[in-house]
Amino acid sequence: MRQPGPRPVVTGVGLVTALGLGKQTNLRAFLVGEHRFGVLTRPGRQHGEQYLGAEIPSLAADLPVAGRRHMGVAGEAAVAATEEAWAEAGLADQDPRRIGLVVGGSNLQQREMLCVRDRHADRPQYLSPTYAMRYLDSDICGLCSSHFSIQGGAWTVGGASASGQLAIIEATRMVQSGEVDACIALGALADLSHWELRALKSIGAMGSERFAELPGEACRPFDEARDGFIFGEACAAVVVESAQSARARGVYRWAEVAGWAVTTDGHRGPEPSAEGEAWTIGSALARAGVTAAQVEYVNPHGSGSVLGDATEVDALRRSGLTHAWLNATKSIVGHGLSAAGAVELAITLLQMREGMLHPTRNLERPIDGSLNWVYQRAVTAEVSHALCLSIGFGGINTAVCVRRCDD
Amino acid sequence: MTAYSWDEVLEVVRKNIYEVVPESDGRAIDPDDLLADLGANSVDRAEILTLSMEALSIMVPRSQMAGSASVRELVDGLRDAAARP
Repeated sequence: MRQPGPRPVVTGVGLVTALGLGKQTNLRAFLVGEHRFGVLTRPGRQHGEQYLGAEIPSLAADLPVAGRRHMGVAGEAAVAATEEAWAEAGLADQDPRRIGLVVGGSNLQQREMLCVRDRHADRPQYLSPTYAMRYLDSDICGLCSSHFSIQGGAWTVGGASASGQLAIIEATRMVQSGEVDACIALGALADLSHWELRALKSIGAMGSERFAELPGEACRPFDEARDGFIFGEACAAVVVESAQSARARGVYRWAEVAGWAVTTDGHRGPEPSAEGEAWTIGSALARAGVTAAQVEYVNPHGSGSVLGDATEVDALRRSGLTHAWLNATKSIVGHGLSAAGAVELAITLLQMREGMLHPTRNLERPIDGSLNWVYQRAVTAEVSHALCLSIGFGGINTAVCVRRCDD
Repeated sequence: MTAYSWDEVLEVVRKNIYEVVPESDGRAIDPDDLLADLGANSVDRAEILTLSMEALSIMVPRSQMAGSASVRELVDGLRDAAARP
């Protein structure tokens, strides 16, 4: 059931995580299972408690001076990730009116805005007027479209922890519709404040109590001892373009976005659904014209959620994917929330090109030992078809199937 | 009410122009320069005004400052507001 219209392929990838700036830096660190988990130190993440997580390094030195003011962490990461993807895809030579941008995520700058408000809590009359533009997630769109020439449209899409994949799916649709020749999908950095951290912990989604004193062991997706996700700042940009355009320009094609699916379970809140996830997987594969047996590698949501991980394993079984290689990107860089889906697709593409799959940190006693896990050492693997999964609060399930471009 | 000298207020405004428009840092700011010519767009000008009011501990209604296109006009407006009881 191949889709009509231009065949969408990825021609640029940009990545920022706590491991560093750039895809090569990240790939090297991923393959040896490095991590940067610790106590979160960015101002606005404390308020009487300590929370575990991983924070990106300072990017100030890598960014242009003009417009650096009022960028915030999310803005800096967005520009850095987009810069890398943009440069790789050679978009500077292209007609800006044929380039679009979709930013995945909502309420992106909770911490930054909290800090701005706190600064003038007792003198509100001197609140910076820029707050009026910065509190909007679309400020990231404005920031990126001003740093790069993007005039084909830029907006945000929100799907909780599935936002990153939603952005990629929307970018793919934009290219398929012919409205733009290239569309950047940005999984934006979620700049959480202590309020979100506290609530995510108390709702039972975020860890860790069991490993509060051992940050390096707290993030353990699919392991029996997991007790919630661990937050990790990250941002990824993926350029989706028509295969025809990519060939004509002679740029590298990472993979084809062969299939995707977005579904909802029909209920509010964080509870996952194995049935919903399995249906999403099946839909994405059907759209791609790929059978479960052809999928060599799955990059799951794998957040470290007690219920979520078990549900996802159930869904993989129902979908006939027990043979596929499986690792958890979040075990290395944590849960990027709005960014996660894009980060994980970026890592999937990097692994496919490298012919190696990164380890899953802290996977000592997996939920289901019969699945084809990458444990604590990287493995070599030839992957032509990969499936990425993201699951968001509100029963939002997304799946993207990519096929390596061989010609 | 505070009596600031013209130069004191000019210094406050200059410092805030450099802060808000870092590309202008390093060039001399003349009182007759237009803020827009120094690279300050409308948002920048609103910020320069707010930061300057804060530094001088005064509050001026925006409508009163709306016409301040040059550094001189901004300094005059702020100084007058500071001098009022």
